[in-house]
Amino acid sequence: MSQARDLALFVVGLAILAILPLFLSPNLMNAVIKMMIAALFALAFALAMGQAGMLSFGHAAYYGLGAFAALHLMRAVEMKLFFFPTPLVPIAGAAIGFMFGIVFGWLATQRTGVYFAMVTLALAELLFTLAPTWNSVFGGESGISTMRGASWGLSFGPDSHVYYLTLAWFVISTWCMWAFTKSPLGRLALALRDNEHRVRFLGFNTHVARTLIFAISCTFAGVAGALLAIANEATNYTIFSAQASANVVLQTFIGGAGTFFGPALGAATMTFFARVTSDLTRSWLLYQGLIFVLIMLFAPEGLGGIVSLHMRKLRAGSWRQLLLPYLLCLVVGLLLISGLVFVVESIHVVMTDAYFAKRVAANGAWVPYQFFGRTFEPLGLTTWAIPIMLLGVGSLLLPMARRVTATAWLLATQEQSPPSRDGQSPTGVRQEATA
Amino acid sequence: MEYIVVSILNGVVHGLLLFMVSAGLTLIFGMMGVLNFAHAWFYMLGAYVGFTLTRLGGFWIGLLLAPIIAGLAGTLVERYLLRRVHHYGHAHELLLTFGLAFIIEEIIKLFYGDALVSYQMPDYMRFAAFTIFETNYPFYRIFMGAVAIGMFIILYLLLTRTRVGIIVRAATYRPSTVEALGHNLPLVFMGVFAGGSALAGLAGAVAGAFYPTGPNMAVDFGTLVFVVVVVGGLGSVVGALIASLMIGLFISFSVGLNISIADFLGLFGLGNWASDIGGLFTLQLSTIANSMPFLLMLLVLLIRPAGLMGDRQ
Amino acid sequence: MSNRASSNATMPVPGAVSGEPILELRNVLKSFGETEIIRGVDLIVKRGQRHALIGPNGAGKSTLFNLISGHYLPSSGEILLNGESIAGSSPHAINRRGLSRSFQITNVFPRMSVAENLRISIMGRHGHRLTLFRPVRSLKAVNDEVDEFIDKLRLAKRRNDLAGDLAYSEQRILEMGMSLATGPAVLLLDEPTAGMSREETAYIVELIRQVTEGRTLLVVEHDMSVVFTLSDQVSVLVYGKIIASGEPAAVRADKIVQEAYLGVEVH
Repeated sequence: MSQARDLALFVVGLAILAILPLFLSPNLMNAVIKMMIAALFALAFALAMGQAGMLSFGHAAYYGLGAFAALHLMRAVEMKLFFFPTPLVPIAGAAIGFMFGIVFGWLATQRTGVYFAMVTLALAELLFTLAPTWNSVFGGESGISTMRGASWGLSFGPDSHVYYLTLAWFVISTWCMWAFTKSPLGRLALALRDNEHRVRFLGFNTHVARTLIFAISCTFAGVAGALLAIANEATNYTIFSAQASANVVLQTFIGGAGTFFGPALGAATMTFFARVTSDLTRSWLLYQGLIFVLIMLFAPEGLGGIVSLHMRKLRAGSWRQLLLPYLLCLVVGLLLISGLVFVVESIHVVMTDAYFAKRVAANGAWVPYQFFGRTFEPLGLTTWAIPIMLLGVGSLLLPMARRVTATAWLLATQEQSPPSRDGQSPTGVRQEATA
Repeated sequence: MEYIVVSILNGVVHGLLLFMVSAGLTLIFGMMGVLNFAHAWFYMLGAYVGFTLTRLGGFWIGLLLAPIIAGLAGTLVERYLLRRVHHYGHAHELLLTFGLAFIIEEIIKLFYGDALVSYQMPDYMRFAAFTIFETNYPFYRIFMGAVAIGMFIILYLLLTRTRVGIIVRAATYRPSTVEALGHNLPLVFMGVFAGGSALAGLAGAVAGAFYPTGPNMAVDFGTLVFVVVVVGGLGSVVGALIASLMIGLFISFSVGLNISIADFLGLFGLGNWASDIGGLFTLQLSTIANSMPFLLMLLVLLIRPAGLMGDRQ
Repeated sequence: MSNRASSNATMPVPGAVSGEPILELRNVLKSFGETEIIRGVDLIVKRGQRHALIGPNGAGKSTLFNLISGHYLPSSGEILLNGESIAGSSPHAINRRGLSRSFQITNVFPRMSVAENLRISIMGRHGHRLTLFRPVRSLKAVNDEVDEFIDKLRLAKRRNDLAGDLAYSEQRILEMGMSLATGPAVLLLDEPTAGMSREETAYIVELIRQVTEGRTLLVVEHDMSVVFTLSDQVSVLVYGKIIASGEPAAVRADKIVQEAYLGVEVH
């Protein structure tokens, strides 16, 4: 039953994505393109991580290599060396991703756990330090750029062409990764995640298996990179940065590595979040980090896990019981968030050079600063009172909100039928048998 | 010849600094199984504390406060954050510290901006310790090396000669037995975590006055530290020392060598051919000095997957 | 026992114990640094035998298992399976040659269902270790065998439950089943009844006897009643050396063995 439901959700989601361009401005369309690419990258990362327990801290390496491969290919087409249809360019990304995935993966999978993570990080850093010096391949510090070529009767100039190209590859890749989880190798990946040691004694060469799984993950990372190159028509060595690798890790876990779509959800959400907030604040990475840490502490299964929890545990009618508690949580959350944002952004304004200059001009006095269209005195009572009130009230209400929500959950899940048995448990999410 | 001597000195000092930071990390991992990703960020924290206090007038106070503040930060992290997620497993703890690294970096950027800050050593330390051939060797480098060596000696004595040290070492092998013998294990863990973080903070305060201090220093230094622990074998302090020195020397030697593969092939008469090809062949060693540690790591992994001092399975 | 084409394991031979050795250890030594754990073990396990390995704690029984199954490298000596040396081979190679082991501490895949746990072993044996382009559901031979095994292990009621949710004794059975499902000629069982009640132990022993018919068994056990009901040959390991080997009754009466266990001089 749940499979039919999953399929239905997928079809609906696909339909929405397909008709979206009709309603979006070019700017927003571009945003959705970037969200799909980020989601694909996260799914690829999670294939190695959530499936097989291989935490890769340097996945941007394969993403970046895919991008460069695509750009070189498009450049060759642009310079009329040979013809290659633009819609098939991501194949170059896949091929490069797979090749380097095999080579680097063979090295990295010699170790497990944290060692593995460190090795993948160092490999990506190797590329990051090497790329700016290798002009012919990586274009030095400024990178490579090119133009999308016309193919198959389409010019690939407008964003909508790129959108549908990206959507097509996103769907194909996601389907491939989904199929992977159903294949013998995909099931082996789960076993490797649970107990790699044991797998060895069951006749499996785990080094070979893990290398192959890792390479498959890198293949799709390469596709994502290629799609980015197609969308941006340029890239440079900063695509290999630790920041890029770190982002996919954070986004995946915010979304939840335990479900298949969790990472995609996390990546899409955080990419959108970044786009929206990076214009408003320079500390959006701080907020992303805080969200990540809070999720790791209090909701380790991520957003996807929360959604999955709701879908699994709640009976049809019990939604209503949770409405009020959630409203309370929302209020508390808003209070705390506003307080935090006020503090962070105020510090920001106060620490800028422009403000410093004003202070110098006023002989060191703490001049008022502009913030959200209002003026605040740094040492004024209101300026301090606002965040203290927000944070204070929020913190006071927090324990109550937690208690109320916990009680409501207890009531909402008291009578429920046993979880459905379809032979395959969702990856990583525990089904608790009823007493 | 001069080049060799100077490079050795530079390499050893750099290596000792690396060791100061990796020793704490490897100890914490060996004992608690937690790889504190944010360890290099405590290093950066120490540097910024040093910077702030130097600006307010006291370089030495900075050196004193940096480890204290870093140690305090480490204590808070262990007590209130890591302990909470301990039962989710080591990967989860690693990820948590990963997020923390971010937060620390962003908070520092919030207060100090994105650019490098001008953290300088006091003027009276700005002289040449001695002259090698014709180069003046800066005193401060010797000072950094001395601090590192001093710290190593203190650490060694602490671990081998004191009661606390024995408990700590025992806890590295059999934590539950140590607890069963009546020692307060959580306190030991917290202490080691705080101590390791304090060391990193001190290293930052000392090094930050010499090397560029900016928001990127944690990532740059941190990746090196991770290479050290992979190469040296996680949990082995001696391995960390050897690996740190190796990497320090590698870097310092490559920085000054303007030779390339083409030059090397020139010995065999293929120089012109290689130069014509360009690309990788004309890449000079000095340009890729930053990549050397990672190449070293790859080499070690190929030959000895368990690291230099690691156990073979 | 139905015949099934299996790709790499030797077929279990039903019938009486034959005289030829299937597993042989010759003067095996193992030291960890300065400490000698195994000090020269000679052991012969004959094809089809049910061979028990007993000894006081710390004698080195688990170490011996680790040596045989490829987890440790012997410091010196020979380990032969079907006459071919396996000392120093990797665990997966040894398994493919026909030797499988279970673990003292239950070692299953907790987040996968019972059926899935068994399927890993079985699909491996059918050559589907790295298969990518077919859904595992479509492998009829594999899935049929999974069902067969589940019935054999009497775990049908727990088929779709997560392995981590099983009762302790059920987990031990699954653990053993996973090793068995790789189709070995020789099965090493490490304290299969550890921590079980009398009823559970009797149940397990009977189950072991049934499912391992035709295969060679080497069992480490502490429970003497199990040893004497299940095995037809007993070897005693003390301080890294085999001090006695023979039929259960004879070993039980052996004075040297009694001294080693009870620590008293027996006149």
